[in-house]
Amino acid sequence: MPGSPRHHPLQGGRLRRAREFSGFALPGLFLYGVLVLVPIVWTIVLGFTDQTRFDPQTSWVGLKQFGRLFQDEQFWLVLRNTFVVTLIVVIVPNVLGLAIALLLNRESLLYRLLRSVFFTPVILSGIVVSVIWQSLLRPDGVLNAILVDLGVDSAPRWLSDPGLALYSISGILCWQMLGFCVVVYLAGLNSVPKELYEAALMDGAGRLRRFRSVTWPMIAASVTINTVMLLISGFKVYEHILVLTNGGPGRNATASIAFDVIEKGVRGDRIGFSAAEATIMLAIIVAITGVVLRLLQRREVHL
Amino acid sequence: MTSRLAVARPVLAIALTALFFFPIYIVVTGMLKPADEIQSSPLGLPAPLTGENLGAVFGREDGLYWSSLLNSVQITVLSVLLLTLSSAMLAHYLVRSKARWTKPAMLMLLSGLMIPPAVILQPVTQVLDAVGLMNTLPGVVLSNVAYYLPFGVFVFAGFIGTVPVDIEEAASLDGASRLRMFWQVVFPTLRPAAASVMIFLGVWVWNDFLSPLVILGPESGTTVTVGVYRSVGEYSTNFGTLYAFSFLASLPVLLFFVALQKQFVAGLTAGSVK
Amino acid sequence: MLTFETPNLPATLWDSAIARVSAKVPGIKIKKLVTPNVDRTTYAKQLASSGQLPDIMMAVNPQGFAEGGQLAEFTPDELKDYAYPTSGAINGKVYQLPTNAQPQSLLYYNKDDFAKAKISKVPATWAEFLDACAKLKAAGITPIAVGGGGQDTFASVYSWVGVLGTDVFMRDPGFDKEIRSGAKNFTDPAFVKATEKIAQLAKLGYLDKEGTSRSYADHEKAFRAGSAAMYPMGSWFATSADNDKPPFEVGVFAWPSDDGKAVVPNLTGGGISVSAKAENVGLAKKFALEWTKDKETSDAFTKADGTFNTVAGYKPPADMGPLFKETLAIYEKAVQDGTVTPAFSIEQGDNGLPAEFTTAINQIAVELLNGTSDAATVAKKLNDEYAALQ
Repeated sequence: MPGSPRHHPLQGGRLRRAREFSGFALPGLFLYGVLVLVPIVWTIVLGFTDQTRFDPQTSWVGLKQFGRLFQDEQFWLVLRNTFVVTLIVVIVPNVLGLAIALLLNRESLLYRLLRSVFFTPVILSGIVVSVIWQSLLRPDGVLNAILVDLGVDSAPRWLSDPGLALYSISGILCWQMLGFCVVVYLAGLNSVPKELYEAALMDGAGRLRRFRSVTWPMIAASVTINTVMLLISGFKVYEHILVLTNGGPGRNATASIAFDVIEKGVRGDRIGFSAAEATIMLAIIVAITGVVLRLLQRREVHL
Repeated sequence: MTSRLAVARPVLAIALTALFFFPIYIVVTGMLKPADEIQSSPLGLPAPLTGENLGAVFGREDGLYWSSLLNSVQITVLSVLLLTLSSAMLAHYLVRSKARWTKPAMLMLLSGLMIPPAVILQPVTQVLDAVGLMNTLPGVVLSNVAYYLPFGVFVFAGFIGTVPVDIEEAASLDGASRLRMFWQVVFPTLRPAAASVMIFLGVWVWNDFLSPLVILGPESGTTVTVGVYRSVGEYSTNFGTLYAFSFLASLPVLLFFVALQKQFVAGLTAGSVK
Repeated sequence: MLTFETPNLPATLWDSAIARVSAKVPGIKIKKLVTPNVDRTTYAKQLASSGQLPDIMMAVNPQGFAEGGQLAEFTPDELKDYAYPTSGAINGKVYQLPTNAQPQSLLYYNKDDFAKAKISKVPATWAEFLDACAKLKAAGITPIAVGGGGQDTFASVYSWVGVLGTDVFMRDPGFDKEIRSGAKNFTDPAFVKATEKIAQLAKLGYLDKEGTSRSYADHEKAFRAGSAAMYPMGSWFATSADNDKPPFEVGVFAWPSDDGKAVVPNLTGGGISVSAKAENVGLAKKFALEWTKDKETSDAFTKADGTFNTVAGYKPPADMGPLFKETLAIYEKAVQDGTVTPAFSIEQGDNGLPAEFTTAINQIAVELLNGTSDAATVAKKLNDEYAALQ
């Protein structure tokens, strides 16, 4: 880029630069620093203390909280739950979203309408979505009523069967996120130049072949966006669990790591312990997102 | 072969969409039915229509719906305005400045996109408490601005990168102050990015649950999302009213979506196809 | 003032009581704050963490707050009118007015169902109880309703509270205290044996497992709709059923024990706490004491929530419903017979377990009801979780 204005010799000067900085960058950076960066550091620091809510005596305990965490069966359970939810939420809406996008990839009023329907849950809050589904999945709810009408003997206990509840919650999250993937994939599909398909047709490529060698590489950016977005939303799931199961049925049967951190630190007494857990949570999400981003973007470049 | 597909596609598309839409259908019809009909015929269309569920939400003695609506509107409007302004300026500064620290600063901001709120919530309440903003509307707004700033910067930065610098140079050579130059010359060219930032953050802030629940506290009332949560306990067997509250809580966002559908999709597209 | 709303205690009830009592305490101005769900103790903690603890709080478990110096202590003189002035004390000091006694778990039952299953007399011993359950099941009726779904995990615990009352706390009212001191743990044989009773009920298919996904209000609604024959619940159901009668006759009996004693797990407390940092602690305390003394307010809460006011000289209104009177009779007989016990996980203060342990107990109770964990597993889990709290 040819010299931006501030590099024009006439415009230099320390004072001017300082003024620009304070006008443009300072307000945002300051808030971000005070209400995001400082809290992150604070959380990490708290993880090395034994702070509890009502005990004014706080002391350094080094890695003790982390040690206790790793020995705590419940922590591993909560972590496992989080991974199960995240994995389902990353895969299902991604695959279904692409399939539906391919199905809806036509320009007419009908398809535009159908797209909007898929997008609606995306703009609803997690609380509202959970309230809706809780009413559907009740033992005497609509879904089981339909299943019984269809001749199912013992309808599933969606939210009270400990083996099923976590999958019910994951399914609800998938329902909510699906529309996002559909719309992103549709945008990706629209950006594929028509000539590429024509060229592939001329080469006698079949439907599947055209998808593999034209569509798939051309929507790489959409895959990246969706995957990262789903990864982050799956990993931080909180309010769905709060409303639908409150972490049950059974001890932490559906509790996620975000749920557990809030439960212990914000709503409970064990601030230090919860901060150590939050630190691990942060480390995991940073590591996973970093790796996934790198892999996907390398793929984008390669293709 | 092609003709068979031509018939199958709309049929399949409509069937799948109908299946997907089912929960929303239950809510919208349910809130227009009397309580006993929700139980006896959940699938049927509401006939005759009843407004009693909506009326019950509007006419609550404690005015929960109206007071929380007012809070939600204030928080969302203020947060989104401040976010748009601050993230546009910050993004512009970071993209255009040649200073060495801007690269790491940008990276630090973008990594903020993946911070789960649960990780920072406890200290955020301490910070806000220290400056006396805990349990206040401005407290919620400022924490929103900080938390969502990375998204705004991300979108604006991507867009600014595609805008040529020539006009900025021309304007600054005229001696216009940089701030004025930004608002009069640069910002108008960023409108598409601003639209998608406003739309996305508007929806997210509106739907936020945890930070209004914890930061706003009881004295300043609730937002509509927290209001729905609160009414779950009260109405938990009265689904018509619960549906009505959920619907009314989402209504502003839904209207917004219907009115600005094109921009919604365009906003998403801007981020995903680059 | 922090209040909470339930189907039994709607906003109007609070508003009128606040207006009435405020009028008796000149100079006080009350602003009502409502918790987002029934779990007011957790919410109060959340508020305390940002220095926003309300001046006056209704039925918040004082544990933690009290030790942290956040609550004002009530003096013996202020407590002289209460029947159990030291109930819920923490390190010997009282931070929550022991306003009322509230039996936490009794068995409310559907008389029609019992008639259908040809059960002529309510079971008094555990053997009779199992027999009744078997008869009900044979008649195609689910014997026992359970709850604990959605946000209302607390509703899972009442059956367990019942059997622990008869089998553990009856013989050893200080069980919780011994857990705290380390003298006992949850693998204690009596505890495991009592817990095994619930596991057995689950195994025999006597529990309505679906209930573990029902919210509290939905749980009650399901029982009213005939989902099961028995409903283990606190005395608040009595007034709820009196005020809005189910389509069948409801009776009540105490948890059957091995030897036939009628045991009533009970909590005395439920009153107001005052923040030590209140603008005017004296005035706030005055309000708290007036709240309990105000006959009309006490009547309103007795009618709505089935509590038994323990302030000397209080008599419940004469027009209380039949189920309330029946419940009160069971409680009063238990008081005479000395068969009132603390309620597991609900009891507060020195005689109870740490408040933060409650969630773990409630969730583990669901495993018991669901039949996913047996008594030994449950005991081990409780030990592990209790250790993790320290």
